[in-house]
Amino acid sequence: MTIERELDTIDVNFNVGPQHPATHGVFRMVLTVDGELVVDLEPVIGYLHRGAEKLSENCDYRQAIGFQDRTEYLAQFNAELCYVIAVEKLMGLEVPERAEYIRVILTELNRIASHLMFMGAFSADLGVFGTLFMYAFRERERMQDLFEEISGDRMMYSYFRVGGLAWDVPQDFVERTRWVVKQARQGIADIDGLLTRNEVTMARTRGIGVMPADQAIDWGFSGPMLRATGVRHDLRRAEPYSIYDRLEFDIPVGTQGDVYDRYTVRLEEMRQSARIVEQCLDQMPKDGPVVAPGLKRVLRPPAGEVYMRTENPRGEYGIYLVSKGTDKPYRLKIRSPSFCHLAALRDMVVGHYVADAVIILGSVDIVLCEVDR
Amino acid sequence: MSAAQERREPGVKETPIVPPPPGSVADTFKAALPDVEFVANQGVLDVILTVAPQDVPRVMRAAKDDPRLAFDFLRCLSGVDQMEQGLEVVYHLYSFKHAHNVTIKTLLPADDPQIPTISTVWNGALWHEREAHEMFGIVFQGHPDLRPLLLEEDLGYHPLLKSHPLAEIEESQEDFLREEAPAAAATAAGAPPAPVDERAAKIALAQKKAEAMKKAREEARAKGLSPEDEKAFVQEALKTLEEGS
Amino acid sequence: MADDTKAEEFHVVHDDPARAISDVVPAELRRRIKELSPVETDPNQGKALYRRILPGVLQMHADTVIALARKSSLWPLTFGLACCAIEMISTHMANHDLDRFGILPWPSPRQADVMVVSGTVTKKMAPAVKLLYEQMPSPKWVISMGACATNGGPYTRYDRVLQGVDKIIPVDVYVSGCPPRPEALMDAFIQLQKKIMEERGKIGR
Repeated sequence: MTIERELDTIDVNFNVGPQHPATHGVFRMVLTVDGELVVDLEPVIGYLHRGAEKLSENCDYRQAIGFQDRTEYLAQFNAELCYVIAVEKLMGLEVPERAEYIRVILTELNRIASHLMFMGAFSADLGVFGTLFMYAFRERERMQDLFEEISGDRMMYSYFRVGGLAWDVPQDFVERTRWVVKQARQGIADIDGLLTRNEVTMARTRGIGVMPADQAIDWGFSGPMLRATGVRHDLRRAEPYSIYDRLEFDIPVGTQGDVYDRYTVRLEEMRQSARIVEQCLDQMPKDGPVVAPGLKRVLRPPAGEVYMRTENPRGEYGIYLVSKGTDKPYRLKIRSPSFCHLAALRDMVVGHYVADAVIILGSVDIVLCEVDR
Repeated sequence: MSAAQERREPGVKETPIVPPPPGSVADTFKAALPDVEFVANQGVLDVILTVAPQDVPRVMRAAKDDPRLAFDFLRCLSGVDQMEQGLEVVYHLYSFKHAHNVTIKTLLPADDPQIPTISTVWNGALWHEREAHEMFGIVFQGHPDLRPLLLEEDLGYHPLLKSHPLAEIEESQEDFLREEAPAAAATAAGAPPAPVDERAAKIALAQKKAEAMKKAREEARAKGLSPEDEKAFVQEALKTLEEGS
Repeated sequence: MADDTKAEEFHVVHDDPARAISDVVPAELRRRIKELSPVETDPNQGKALYRRILPGVLQMHADTVIALARKSSLWPLTFGLACCAIEMISTHMANHDLDRFGILPWPSPRQADVMVVSGTVTKKMAPAVKLLYEQMPSPKWVISMGACATNGGPYTRYDRVLQGVDKIIPVDVYVSGCPPRPEALMDAFIQLQKKIMEERGKIGR
């Protein structure tokens, strides 16, 4: 028996506040809902604005590497790589081969670790609270152990230096990394088996949060968010940096640009990263210098500017560096992918339910430190 | 301006202008917009074009619509504080169709930094321009919503300007409470929001006080006073400063 | 006493403890007590009756029991602000498990015991932190995790950053590190447990 009634309703305005288990950090959404349907959304950011750009203008080029770690705290090596390559391009430095290979290995392992964190948080948003988070962190802990053996820290490595690395890797680096990659492949297979053909996942994520390709490019999407819409664009192929032009890997793309495509693109990217790491381990020179020779202790790049961009797990991470010939950067602007993706959150969420808003936000895979810097 | 000049390190060099090789995107721009004046420079990775502020909307619209240029992707929009020369706005563009990049720069006067918005051309510019506005004070005319994004509303200053100093390290908890108390008292009294100049004057006064405190502390430590004497010394120095101003 | 016969039943005669027990306690239980306590004479002679009937009973101050209960079931508010949040999550996960201490992350401040401020507190976020602290019911504790929450950390020179969360809320344990290792956070929880036991006289704080 159905009851039909004409009701006078008001749209409710409520706050998914800065402290919320689903918002991946201090992010606030002000939702206007009609029942459960989201009518309007206003993202409020800036709760973690710590002035990394201003403070980098007061450190020298080596100290600023630490700020890059803390800006992108899930893919630290990627951010360090972008910054370090920016300064090297400005100075016209050439990095030794061994250092390049080690950098790429660590960067790609960090990409796997970052995507594992995404898998954990994404499954938590879907409702699978404990299981997949535990699996993802099991693999991440192995990688963090490896990174700790190399750099001394579990999270904020500060291991890359302008011109190479801070010091050489331990002697068992190759065997340890091969073991870590093998375990990571098993972890990826676990996650794949649990989520990809899962009826609940597909019902909850297919057709949700769709962003078509032309609009995505207009908003400034990049990385897995753009590849999920079908645009086969990867900065490691389009504008190669470091030694990526010698490596073979595929670029996974999605079809519709919905949440399910973003998940599958990231899953496949993890496999491709594992492939890259294995190739690098085979091709890496057995010994050699790890830092460019003849570098002074205090770096003074020549006056100029550079906009260096690399493919981060989240998208295109850019460092716009202006130097006036002194020992401190004059302007260090960080172009963060999550910032550009969040600007389009309203267009992706309006018209869906509140529960879908949480999943769409999770699929954007934001890191608040880089949104707010 | 003297503080800014003091902060400048010795040996500051300006960027040398190197013209780009022929056949680069600079020539395409010149062909597409013959009446706009471009200063082309070959940067480390991209070609850098400097234009006048009033030409920026036309250049951006042509960059997106012209089929030879087809810049559909706004990578980044940054502000740079060039101190005496003014405020610079830097746009980085990329084209998916032709796979080329360009950097477009424009220099605005420091006392009146206004430039038309390009959020009508690319949606991605909306948030970038909001951030540049609150960090540098650059006004983007025609922007639908120029509220602060990362900072609180009506803060009264722009943090990323070179003239804005870093915060001093507060040694005790009372520093923060003392700083907040006058502001709370003002709002409790129902005072209207202070205009920008007054706020800036208040900040300048606070900075002077901090300087005086630091100097007094150093002097006291050099003399070897005990902590209570040091505190008294610092209080005296602050009193003389207040009486003097 | 109104009913004298009942009082006689429980009345204890001190010069013949064995007879006093046999009056009240059934034979079976008496046998078990004899098995458990092999001494000839009753070691609980002169003590309260319940000690002779149930020798395994502990008696302690209510404060101790309450403090023991509170420290064994600390529910932290899931309050990850910045990078330290990732290490906090790592500490909850299987490798450095925190659940074995009874620590269960809880999203709502109304049922949380301890607030782990993990990350930089900016001046924009400070009112929210204070509101969350006030929403937590007493007894509550605060662990300031990481350099940023302790004194502003690497970002202390920026004027939008609060130089330490103890400027707005009282902190019980500080953990240093950027970010602190999971073992350091575990140590912080253990120190907090010790503190709860030491402060057990102050009920309802």
